[in-house]
Amino acid sequence: MSPAMLSNDPYNLIITGVGGQGNVLASRMVGDMLLQSGFFVTIGETFGASQRGGSVMSHMRISAGSYFSPQIPRGMAHMVVSLEPTEAIRVLKDYGNSQVKVISNTRPIHSIGVISGEQAYPSEKDIKKWAEELSQQVWFINATDGAMRLGNPIFGNIIAVGALSGTGVLPLDRETFRNVLLKKMTPERVEQNMAAFDMGVSMIDSQTI
Amino acid sequence: MENLAEEKKGTTLLMMGNDAIARGAMEAGVRVAAGYPGTPSSEIIEDLASVSKQLNMYVEWSVNEKVALEVAASASYAGLRSMAVMKQVGVNVASDFLLHLAQYGTRGGMVLVTCEDPGALSSTNEGESRPYSKMMEFPLIEPGNFQEAKDMTKWAFQLSEEIRNIVMVRSVTRLSHASSNVVLGELPEINTQPEFRYHSNLMDTMEGPIINLPGTVSFLHRSQQEKLKRVAEIYDECSFNVYTGPDRPELLLITSSACNLYSREAIQILGVQERVGILKLGTTWPLPPKLLEKHLASTENVLVVEEVLPFMEDNIKAFTASIGVRIGVKRFYGKADGTIPMVGESNPDVVLNALSKILSVKYEHVSTDYSKKAAEIAEKGAPPRALTFCPGCPHRASFWTIHTTLALGDREGFVCGDIGCYSLGAISSGFDTLKTLHSMGSGTGLASGFGKLGNLGLNKTVFSVCGDSTFYHAVMPSLVNAIHNRADLTLIVLDNSGTAMTGFQAHPGLEVNATGDNVPAVDIPAICRAMGAKVSVCDPFEIEKTQTVLLKAADDREGVKVVVLRQICALSPEKKGKKLYDMSVDEDICIGENCGCNRLCTRIFKCPGLIWDNEKKKAGIDEVICTGCGVCASICPSGAIKKKEVK
Amino acid sequence: MRTFGPKELLQDVRERGLCVECGACVSLCPYFKTHQGKTAMVFPCDLPEGRCYAYCPKAEVDLDELSMNRWGKLYETTPLGNYIQVLKTRAGKNAPAGEFQAGGSVSSIITFAMTQGIIDASVLTDREGLTPVPRLVTRTEDVIKCAQSKYTTAPTLEALNIAMHEGQGKLGVVGTPCQITALTQLRSNPLNLPDFSDPVSLVVGLFCTWALDARLLEPMLSKRLNIKNIKKMDIPPPPAEILVVETEKKRIEIPLDEIRPLIPKGCLICPDMTSEWADISVGVLENEPEWNTLIIRSESGLEVIERAVTEGWLITERLPEKSLQHLKIAAGNKKRRALTKAIEDKLLNNQGKNNRSSLRLRSEAVDKILEPL
Repeated sequence: MSPAMLSNDPYNLIITGVGGQGNVLASRMVGDMLLQSGFFVTIGETFGASQRGGSVMSHMRISAGSYFSPQIPRGMAHMVVSLEPTEAIRVLKDYGNSQVKVISNTRPIHSIGVISGEQAYPSEKDIKKWAEELSQQVWFINATDGAMRLGNPIFGNIIAVGALSGTGVLPLDRETFRNVLLKKMTPERVEQNMAAFDMGVSMIDSQTI
Repeated sequence: MENLAEEKKGTTLLMMGNDAIARGAMEAGVRVAAGYPGTPSSEIIEDLASVSKQLNMYVEWSVNEKVALEVAASASYAGLRSMAVMKQVGVNVASDFLLHLAQYGTRGGMVLVTCEDPGALSSTNEGESRPYSKMMEFPLIEPGNFQEAKDMTKWAFQLSEEIRNIVMVRSVTRLSHASSNVVLGELPEINTQPEFRYHSNLMDTMEGPIINLPGTVSFLHRSQQEKLKRVAEIYDECSFNVYTGPDRPELLLITSSACNLYSREAIQILGVQERVGILKLGTTWPLPPKLLEKHLASTENVLVVEEVLPFMEDNIKAFTASIGVRIGVKRFYGKADGTIPMVGESNPDVVLNALSKILSVKYEHVSTDYSKKAAEIAEKGAPPRALTFCPGCPHRASFWTIHTTLALGDREGFVCGDIGCYSLGAISSGFDTLKTLHSMGSGTGLASGFGKLGNLGLNKTVFSVCGDSTFYHAVMPSLVNAIHNRADLTLIVLDNSGTAMTGFQAHPGLEVNATGDNVPAVDIPAICRAMGAKVSVCDPFEIEKTQTVLLKAADDREGVKVVVLRQICALSPEKKGKKLYDMSVDEDICIGENCGCNRLCTRIFKCPGLIWDNEKKKAGIDEVICTGCGVCASICPSGAIKKKEVK
Repeated sequence: MRTFGPKELLQDVRERGLCVECGACVSLCPYFKTHQGKTAMVFPCDLPEGRCYAYCPKAEVDLDELSMNRWGKLYETTPLGNYIQVLKTRAGKNAPAGEFQAGGSVSSIITFAMTQGIIDASVLTDREGLTPVPRLVTRTEDVIKCAQSKYTTAPTLEALNIAMHEGQGKLGVVGTPCQITALTQLRSNPLNLPDFSDPVSLVVGLFCTWALDARLLEPMLSKRLNIKNIKKMDIPPPPAEILVVETEKKRIEIPLDEIRPLIPKGCLICPDMTSEWADISVGVLENEPEWNTLIIRSESGLEVIERAVTEGWLITERLPEKSLQHLKIAAGNKKRRALTKAIEDKLLNNQGKNNRSSLRLRSEAVDKILEPL
C-alpha cells in the first residue's frame, strides 16, 4: 500500500492496555514499520506513574503528509487495539465513534478495586456485546493464551500487532515487520517474534468469513 | 534510544522528543551533560550516557538538580558545550545557583533543558519553569514539534555562545514522550580542550575568576540586560517563529510548545484556516518585539494557547499595552477569561472548544447518542484502575509493616512521605500510610519539625520515609537538622537499589553509574551512623523481623532512629522475570471470607498477583502476574498460601 | 446471644472505653493484635459477625444464656454464683517451692494438673517489667515464673487463641473474671462453627475487684523505682488503703486513691468478683497471708482438688464462717455496683437493633441483685 492509500488521513490508531503489557513496544514497532513505508507517524504515550497498574494508551496518527497532535481528538479513533478487554471499553468512551473498529485481547487483568472486592469485573459476554454496540467491527483474540503457548505472556503485544496487520486497515506486511525486528534483536529472537506475529494474523484470518 | 550516534545525517527516524533533544545536543557537540531523573526528562541523559564513550563525553546522574546544573556549568566555564537536564521541579531545586549562573554568564555554550508535566500525569504539582527565564533574565525557547526538538536544541548552544549566557529549552510530556519523524543532521568532530581561565580581573567575564560579589553585581546585572536586548533582536529574525494564515486574520492565535500541535490540528478540523492565523513562537522570553508588533497590528482579536501558566499571555498583554499608542487596544482570549482552562494539560479538544466558542462555529466530535451510550457502558464496563505497587514490590511489604507498627504503637502515629514509587503509600495500595506529601526531601524536613512538637504537647509517633535516591538528593540535610536538634522521629529509608519510579536509574548508592563504569557506592547506614542516628538494617520481605525493629523504633522516644529497609525493586534488571518462589494456594486450607481471614490477601494486601475466585470463594495466584516474592505467604493467617523455592 | 462484627466491637467497646485488654479478640485473625498491653485493630475488617465480638466479655454478654450453657440453669443472683464448696487452701508439701502469692494454691494446682496429664499445657500470664506477657507454658518448671499476682490488665487469652490456632487441646487456663467470661463464651461456640472443638480442660479463675491499665501504671511507678526489677505487687487487706510494690532493694506504697483513676471503665460494670464461670476459683484469705480462699464450682474441678489433696499437693481446711460471710458481702457489693453503673451508663438490657448492650440479664434477677439489703 502506498502512502496515498490510507483510508483516512490522518489514520488514528489507539493501542491500549494495562501498564507492563508491552503497549509501548507494540506502538513503536508499528510506528517503525509505517515509517519504513514512507509515512509520517506521530505517537503520543502515557509513561511514569500510570505504569504502576494503571491504564496505558498509545495514540498513533498515521499520515501521508504531516505530523499531528500526539493526542487524538475526542471521538476520532479509527481503530482501537486493546491488550485488555475493559481498556477497550474505556478508550471507546472518549475516542470511539460508530465507525471505529476494535481488536481486543480476551484475557482480563483485574484492577486492585476488583481484586479487593470493591468493584465488579464485567463478564466476557457483556464486554463482547458492548464492544459490538460501540463499534463498526470487532475482533476478539486470545492473545495471552497464544503467548503462553509460545512460552511468554509478553508476546501478547506482538500477536496483537500481527492481528492488526491481518485486518488490513494499515499497510503492515510481514517483511517490513521482520526488517524492523532485525534492527533491534538477534535472529533467534526475531524468529520467535515472527511466530507471534503470524499467530496474530491467523487469529484474524480465522474470524474472517 | 539505541545507537543514536550511529545514524547518519539525512536519515529519518521515528524519535521521541527526548531522543531528538539528545541528538540535537550531540549535533551541537555537547561534551558534558548532567541531570537528575524526573518524568518526562529522564531519557535524555540515558541517551547521552549510552553514547558518551563513543563521542568522548562526560555524562552523569547527579545527586540532585542543583549539583547537576553546577556540574554542567563547570564544563561551560572550561570552554566546553554542556547541558543540564531536569523536570520542572528540578529547576526549583537548581534555582539558587541558576540565579547566579545567569547573572554572571557562561563561556562554552550551555543549555538547561526542562521537561515539564502539565496536568501532573507523573508529578505532585502542576508547576512550570518558564517564569524563571523572566525572573532571572535569561533566554527561553520552546520547540513546537519533533524536528524542532532536535534543531532548536542544537541552535540553543549557538545562541548561548553568541550572548554568553545560559539558554533554557522547554519541553513538555507531549513532546518529550511523544514520537514522530525526525530528519537527522551531522555529528561534528569536536576536539576542544577544556581550559578554565581565571587570571584576568574581576570584570573580565571570559578570562577572569567567576565571582559574584556585592561589588560586581550591578556591573554583571547591567551586562545581563544588554544580553537580553541582543537576544530580542536575534529572536525577531528567528526562523523558529512561524506564522501561517491570512494577512489580516479575524483571530490571531499565538501559541508555543506542544500547544502548537493542538492548535494546527484544531484549525484544520474546524476548517477555519481563512479566519485564524497561527503564530507559533519558538522564542518566548524575551518576546520578539518587531515580529509581535507586526502580527498584533494585523488583527483585533488574539487567542493565546499555552500551558500551564498564562506566561506568554501576561507578557504579550503587557507588551501590547506598551505599544498601544501605535496599534490600539486588542481583545484577548486565553486563560484569564476562561477560554482556555487554567488547570490541566492542553489537547486538541481544548483548542477546538475555544475556537468554536470564539468563532461561533458548531463542533460536535461525535454524536451525543454515541457519547451517552459509551459513557453508560463504561460505568460498568471499565472499572477504574487505581495505581498500585508492582507485584513483588518491596514497598508493599514495607508499608504493610509500617502501618501495622503505627496501629500497635501506644501513641497514634503518622508518616511524612516523599517522592518516588513509595509515594503510593498515600493511597490504599500503600494502606493510606502517608499523611504528608510534597517535594524531594520534604518528608524528613517536616518530620524534623513534628518531632519537636512533642515538647509543645503533640502526642504522636513521627515517622518519615524516603527512597535511596531521595536520601542523597535532599534528605541528608534534614536528617542532620533532626539529629542535631534532637527531634524524636524515625526515618525509614526504603532502599530498593535504584531510582525506580523514573525507570531505574543509577544513584550514589550503587556501584555502577550512568555510563556503566564501576564507582564506589556511598553507604546509607554508615552515613546515618556517622551523623549520630540509631541505625538498623532489615529486609522488608522478612515481615516479622522488620515488625520487631520498627516497633522498637516507635516505642523509643529519644532522638532520631533510622531503619533501612533493603530489598531490590521488582523491575530491576537483576530481578525482572526471575521468580524466587513458585506460589500456590491450598484451597482446602484457605479460609476466604470467613472470620479469621476475611480475604486478607485480596481485600487488604491487594497484590495484583492475587486473585479472588468469587465462585469457589477461595484465593488464588495469577501466574502471569505473580513475580514470586513470597510475601503473601508470610501474611496469610491460615497458611494456605504456599511458597516453593525455584531452583 | 446477639453477635455482631468487628466494626460494632470498636463502637461498643473501644469507643465506649470499656476494653479491659483481656486478649479474647487478639490473634483470632490478622486484624486485632496487641503490643505492650494495648489491643488495636491493625487493618479494617467488615464482617457482620465475628468471633471477636462473640467472645468479648464487654459486648452483649447474656449472663442467663451463658449460665444455661455452663451450668444448665439461669444466672445465680447469689453473690458467689454457682458453686459446690468453699475451702481454705494452700500448697502442700509435694508442691514445688518458689515465690508465689499468698497460699500458692494456683501454681500448685496447675503444676499438679500438668504432671498428671489432666492438662498438656497451661495459658498463664508472665510479666516483663510492668508489661503483662501471655504465655503458653508446657514445662512445669516454668509455671512458677507466672506465679505472682499482677494487678494490671493482661491480654492472656491471646496465648490461648494462638495455641488453639496451632491445634493444641487439653489446655489449662488461669485468668481473671473477665478473661474467664470471654473464655466461657468461646467454649460455647457462639458462631456455631462446624469444626469447633473445645481446647480447654481446666479453668482456674482468680478473684478480682478491679485491675489497673498497665500502660498508665508504668509512668507512675517508673518515677519511683526501676520497673524492670519489680518482684512483687500486693494490695494488703483493709484498713490499709495502699498498693505495695517491691523490687529487690526497694519497697514503695502508693495510696489507692492515686491508683483508682487507672482502673479501666470496663471494670466498673463487671459483676463478677470470684470468677463465677471457672472450675476452681482462687483468691486471698483475709488476715491469713499464707492461705487462699478456694471455691470449687464443677465436678471436674472437685476431682482435681481431691486428687491434689490425696497426692499431697494441696492442703485444705474448712473456711471460717466469718470469712465466708465477708467474701459474700464483698462479692455481692461488686455485683450491685456493677449493675447500678451499667444501668446508669445505659449498658444493660438495651432494646432495638442499633442499640447494643454490654450486659443482658433477666429483669427479675436484676431487681433481686439491686434489692436493698
